[in-house]
Amino acid sequence: MTPGGGAHDGSPRGTGDVTRPQTPAGAGSTGTPARHDAGGLWEHPLGAAKDVWAVFVQGRRRDTHVYAGDVHAPDAEMALVLAKENYTRRDPCVSLWVVRADQIHATAQDAAEMFVPATDKSYRFGGSYRQQRRVLQSSYQAAYREEDQ
Amino acid sequence: MPPVPPDDPEMAARFTLRVQGGEQIEAGEWLPAEYRFEALRLINMHANSEIMGALPEREWIPRAPSLARKMALTAKVQDEVGHGMLLYRVAETLGRSRDEMIADLVAGKARFHNVFHYPAETWADVAIIQVFVDGAAMQTQGALRSCSYAPYSRVLKRICYEEDFHIQLGLDVWRSLAEGTPRQRAMLQDALRRWWTPIIHFFGMPDRVSPHTEKMLAWRIKVKSNEELRQQFLRRFVPVILEYGLEVPDPGLRWLDDEQRYVYTEPDWEELKRVGRGGGPKSAERLALRQRFHEQHAWVREAVARWLHDHAQDAVA
Repeated sequence: MTPGGGAHDGSPRGTGDVTRPQTPAGAGSTGTPARHDAGGLWEHPLGAAKDVWAVFVQGRRRDTHVYAGDVHAPDAEMALVLAKENYTRRDPCVSLWVVRADQIHATAQDAAEMFVPATDKSYRFGGSYRQQRRVLQSSYQAAYREEDQ
Repeated sequence: MPPVPPDDPEMAARFTLRVQGGEQIEAGEWLPAEYRFEALRLINMHANSEIMGALPEREWIPRAPSLARKMALTAKVQDEVGHGMLLYRVAETLGRSRDEMIADLVAGKARFHNVFHYPAETWADVAIIQVFVDGAAMQTQGALRSCSYAPYSRVLKRICYEEDFHIQLGLDVWRSLAEGTPRQRAMLQDALRRWWTPIIHFFGMPDRVSPHTEKMLAWRIKVKSNEELRQQFLRRFVPVILEYGLEVPDPGLRWLDDEQRYVYTEPDWEELKRVGRGGGPKSAERLALRQRFHEQHAWVREAVARWLHDHAQDAVA
């Protein structure tokens, strides 16, 4: 049981169960156990095997690099070569990043509620400020009379 | 699998509820031992099948009838091996290393899909594999995109995206043979006849109400039943056969309008069991081929290990 692993889009992967230590199984594919006892219940390393690299693909210059999947490789150079073979066969790519998967820390799955706003946050959105436009539009319509045209 | 302590019933019940509510489970989250076992078995076999599935088509790369076909076939075979890589990585998150799984495969201890135990005798077989075998796989994998194990579901999205190219390529080969000379049409019809039973077998045994199947469905490691998938396949691909004036190799095949399903001649299910255990016409030969390549490429693995050793400071320690 290896926390971390073969996900395929930008979402965080492998959030180890923080309440219950996982027994490392699967030779060579285990990492540091989650920090249950350090008080850091809400975060933990993904804990992939040493030779697993996470691959990030940038489709066009203006895009961000997006997590695409993993490769097994002894070093960064080989990881980039394998990433090119595996993740850029079709869709456009202008740049690749690889990073050791065991260096990635993640928030815990059951800590997801910490991202839920505690109060109404609508004032952070431009869409909440449309009253003025309505006023303008209605006054324009009131002033616009067919017979004047 | 090493013996595992029984699951905490409360956690197991909570897990089942979550999954039944449509939630997906991420790698590293707590799993019931039986879920882990079944998901691993499924994904490991899927990975094996991608690797072994590359072999019958690979035989045709040097003999492809044109450069364009050769390049497209090479790309398809490369995709299949790439799918194997993605799937072994997902299986790893459930607790086995890729090395272990590959060692099992090479040692003949692991299963792979029944269709890859059969020969690809002619170029028309390549068309059949690309259209019908990949088409059959697409039904299963398409359904599993909504399975409960998130890493598997994500990888399946990409696999299905690439499989679509395989089917389109296959349909193009199929069309050129179907519109070709009488000899080409006869070759296509003959290949279809030889592949029909293995393809009907592909979806597995007929549905029986077993607690095992029910559990798999409840956990959404299985999303549709074998028979549902087989019917879905027939609805999609029987018209492809008829469109080109070819014959469905099963004289018993009939569409039941009021039940909205096909009836077909019951195939020999014993053959499926025998082939699944490695008793197919090409099982031994393909396995030997996989073993030979594994040994032949051992130097690459050794070189990588040596590189690791020599660059211990800057490479992975």
